[in-house]
Amino acid sequence: MAENAVIFKGTKDGLYIILKEEMDLDTIKYNLDKKIKPSKRFFEGAKVMNFKGKELTQEEFNELKEVMEQEYSMTVVGNYSDKTHFVQEERSAVKKPEILEQIPFENVHKGEALIVRTTLRSGQLIQYKGDVVVIGDVNPGAHIKAVGSVIVMGTVRGIIQAGANGDYGAYIVAYKMQPSQLRIGDIITRSPDGMGSKSDNPEIALVEKGMIVVEPYLKNK
Amino acid sequence: MGEVIVVTSGKGGVGKTTTTANIGTGLTLKGKSVVLVDADIGLRNLDVVMGLENRIVYDLVDVVEGVCRLRQALIKDKRYPNLFLLPAAQTKDKNAVNPEQMQKLAIDLSEEFDYVILDCPAGIEQGFKNAIAGANKAIVVTTPEVSAVRDADRIIGLLEASGLRNPMLIINRIKMEMVKRGDMMNIDDMIDILAIDLLGVIPDDDLIVVSTNRGEPVIATDQSLAGQAYRNVVRRLMGEDIPFMNLESDDGFFKKMAKLFGLNKKKQ
Repeated sequence: MAENAVIFKGTKDGLYIILKEEMDLDTIKYNLDKKIKPSKRFFEGAKVMNFKGKELTQEEFNELKEVMEQEYSMTVVGNYSDKTHFVQEERSAVKKPEILEQIPFENVHKGEALIVRTTLRSGQLIQYKGDVVVIGDVNPGAHIKAVGSVIVMGTVRGIIQAGANGDYGAYIVAYKMQPSQLRIGDIITRSPDGMGSKSDNPEIALVEKGMIVVEPYLKNK
Repeated sequence: MGEVIVVTSGKGGVGKTTTTANIGTGLTLKGKSVVLVDADIGLRNLDVVMGLENRIVYDLVDVVEGVCRLRQALIKDKRYPNLFLLPAAQTKDKNAVNPEQMQKLAIDLSEEFDYVILDCPAGIEQGFKNAIAGANKAIVVTTPEVSAVRDADRIIGLLEASGLRNPMLIINRIKMEMVKRGDMMNIDDMIDILAIDLLGVIPDDDLIVVSTNRGEPVIATDQSLAGQAYRNVVRRLMGEDIPFMNLESDDGFFKKMAKLFGLNKKKQ
């Protein structure tokens, strides 16, 4: 426990030394020595912004400052008067852990999805009033028609229709995108002739400026 | 009770009848009792391929309608004592029979024979439904062409939907030189789409045409590569683990001759 009497903390402003509240000055000085002395050379010339944590009196502050400068050749940049200001910030930063409530972030979609765990063969049709997840391939001649979005954990070679009721926000995701046709809302598109997907990564098809575009599922892939 | 296997494809002309004739002959060469059933009512040709077209007195529709007993309609093969054929009717059509009748027929036949092999007609309508009705196993035949694979995929979906799971695949009429040039679908691409177990790969072979015209299935011919492939298929059906033939002929002249005469028995 005594090790934590003195903690060095680097922030973007610089180095702070955090002193444990209950410790007396001698214990603090002892701990500072323990921390700094073994790597004295390393700390020489280092700048300490200020002390934090324990409320110091003006004398205590001055004494510590002197110790830092004399013993360890470290400068204390801040003043005693700054200190209270920082202390409060520090105190307010230490909150009791709370249970995080639902963080609303963008692009979260909630709905009941149909999950199909098979490869769709030619001639098979799935129609669903929601999202569809296929764990398998969609072979040429197979057709998925969803009111929501469609996610295929496999190769798409058939026809996928998302946003069947006119929702242009629906999208289509596949591990390998080689569809005969993609439809979102009433927009229809097909693969460029002779090409399939050349990507090793999953791709997503969505509507941008009135057209269906196919791009990698993550921006930096 | 014997196995009841249906040989189907969806697409026409890919080699169902040829495959039925050769597998049937091959199994009987291995000592099994086999009956071949031509379920292509109205467009029968299994009898021609087997060379038995002049011996037809009664046919499948006669049996189902009660005109004759099953035994009377079965034709014994002219070469092999344990191989029989139940021909289709030529003057009727596929509505002359329904699936329940085919199921009963299949049960009756499987009590008498080790293997009942049904030659399914092309398509997905009544003829197909009749042919698969009594089967407990399926072989799907396809050629390495996009249209054939598309139809085979449809057929596999229909087979799975009617309870015939795990059909086996035969890829017929493959030309390895074209595959190597990229002009023909390769085996891996086909299996990627169809996703069923591969039973055999049969190379395109001119001797098939000859054998059909003569009414002698090519499996009994040593010189035929297709015949060799069918022999391997039969052994795999019977449970043996045979590696697939190396169909690439980048051999020199003498190696080719040796292969022709069956002297080159390398396994890869």
